[in-house]
Amino acid sequence: MGVSLSKKAESARPARATINYKAWLFDRGGDILLLILIAFMLLPILFLILGSFKSRDEFAAASSFFPSEWKFSNYSEMWTRVKFGTYFSNSLIICGITTLVVTILASMSGYALARFRFPGSGGFSMAILGTQLVPGTLFLIPLYMTFLWLKNNLGIPLIGTNFGAIVLYVGFFLPISLWIQRSFFATIPIDLEEQAMVDGATRFQAFLYIIMPLAGPGVISTAIFVFLTAWDELLFAWILNVQTIPVGIRQFTGVAGSQNRYELLSAASVVIILPVAAMFFLLQKRFIAGLTAGAVK
Amino acid sequence: MALAPKKNKLSLWQRIRQNSLAYKFIAPTIVAMLVVHLIPIVQGLYLSLLDVRLTTLTLYLKAPFVGLKYYIEVFNAIFGIGEDGTSSRVTGLINAASNTLVYTIWTNIGTLGVGLILAMLLNRNFRWRGIARTLVLLPWVVPTFVTGTIFNFIWLEQGGLANRILLGLNIVDTPITWLIGPNSLYALVIATVWRGLPFTTIMFLAAIQVIPTDLYEAASLDGANGWQRFRHITLPLIKPIAATQVLFGLINGFYGGYNIAVQMFGGGTGFAGEYADLLVPAITRQTWERHLYGFGSAASVILMGMLLIFVGIWYRTFRDSLRAE
Repeated sequence: MGVSLSKKAESARPARATINYKAWLFDRGGDILLLILIAFMLLPILFLILGSFKSRDEFAAASSFFPSEWKFSNYSEMWTRVKFGTYFSNSLIICGITTLVVTILASMSGYALARFRFPGSGGFSMAILGTQLVPGTLFLIPLYMTFLWLKNNLGIPLIGTNFGAIVLYVGFFLPISLWIQRSFFATIPIDLEEQAMVDGATRFQAFLYIIMPLAGPGVISTAIFVFLTAWDELLFAWILNVQTIPVGIRQFTGVAGSQNRYELLSAASVVIILPVAAMFFLLQKRFIAGLTAGAVK
Repeated sequence: MALAPKKNKLSLWQRIRQNSLAYKFIAPTIVAMLVVHLIPIVQGLYLSLLDVRLTTLTLYLKAPFVGLKYYIEVFNAIFGIGEDGTSSRVTGLINAASNTLVYTIWTNIGTLGVGLILAMLLNRNFRWRGIARTLVLLPWVVPTFVTGTIFNFIWLEQGGLANRILLGLNIVDTPITWLIGPNSLYALVIATVWRGLPFTTIMFLAAIQVIPTDLYEAASLDGANGWQRFRHITLPLIKPIAATQVLFGLINGFYGGYNIAVQMFGGGTGFAGEYADLLVPAITRQTWERHLYGFGSAASVILMGMLLIFVGIWYRTFRDSLRAE
């Protein structure tokens, strides 16, 4: 079902009766190609990490691969040179709350779509998929105007605030998350709920106590997906003037500060990757199982 | 199946009441979609028919109605007719449109092709397989704006990692200019492929792993060679997954690339130069820096139209494998 990352899975190759010289050569060629591709995937990240320890001059000179002198102070200076702490905590708050709200709402709606064929479910599905085909540049202006209107007329502070970003991202990522959740619920046998309902549980209780615990991998993959995507959102945050990391990180090199501190930018980039990487590798197996379950039935 | 809906026997009202829990469950989603998607999209479509610019922005939906003026402006320029064909906003857009097409095609070929090769290489039995699979996933945790930053360093003409490797291996004699000129679009393609590969690889790997081994064994007994087994067993069975990946690739190709481009091409001005400018960055610039809000909306609709044509082709191509799923 899912992709196993460590366990010795069965090989997809046919058993070879005789050791075939050509097949052996083909295999070694594959090893070399794999090594090259892994190098291609890893070197950029390694390059970033090494660069984050260089001094300003050494980075600008771009003379060597390894830093001649390891400058660990970059990692403390990056917090003071720009308001990185503010951006970081803003991003954490926005992405954390967005992930929580989206995961709960997507679980409910995904369940409804997977289990009920209600009047309007077809149209609802079409609307969900339709939202994915509309470019952000089309509804960015109206969204900005709507938020501005709400701010001026109802006093809801939606522009330049974390609250506004959370409202935006919940609406933004809900449709696709719901779709991931739906395909995951569809893989859970319906008998379990029927059994629980025969035993006297209501439909809602069956959903909450029987289905949700089984949907763990699906919930986790949705949550990580939402967090990763929200962590990465630049255009809307920039237009709505929300001080998240993608917006703030330009300060290291931006025209306004004219700082050109690329080694600090590298250090900040490493720090940005860390929370996501930690979450991802802790939950990797379940995440991948959840993502692929819906696709490979 | 006690829970299965009984169709047609009940009236609409009874069916709605019977499914009341479903409506309660989707109600918050519908509100969120109305506020963030549906209402703004309808407004955006209407906006593309209005002359909204800096001076008329406060009028917003009451701005002067110009009908299809902006659409005609863009279409005339594409087909080389009309006076407005040379206005800089339109030529910039047409440039970006052709770049977007090339970008979409190459990112798809790169991600799907290399992703499939990687998946097959990782599906073999070897020591370190677990580690290799984890390492291949790494670019996935790198946000796209950081990807742009990294590749900004990698493509540097003097001392960038790419030129350093190419010169070191004697593949080229003189450093290549990556970030300016015709190479810049491919610099963007490679960065995008790098970030997109892990997801595609893991999906292909999942699909390959569920193919029953006895299919390959039977084919071998019948004398099929490696290529024939790949062509007639692996490829048809991963087609449904490939279909989803192509759809994601099309959407990302047309609408994505913004974060990487903004960070990769010089410090956040967002302009990648005429060779690598894509439609979303171009439209964003026209809209927010030149305050051409109505024009930007019309251009967005045209961009959506371009994508929908490709989605239509996609649907015709993969219709059968989508049903089989």
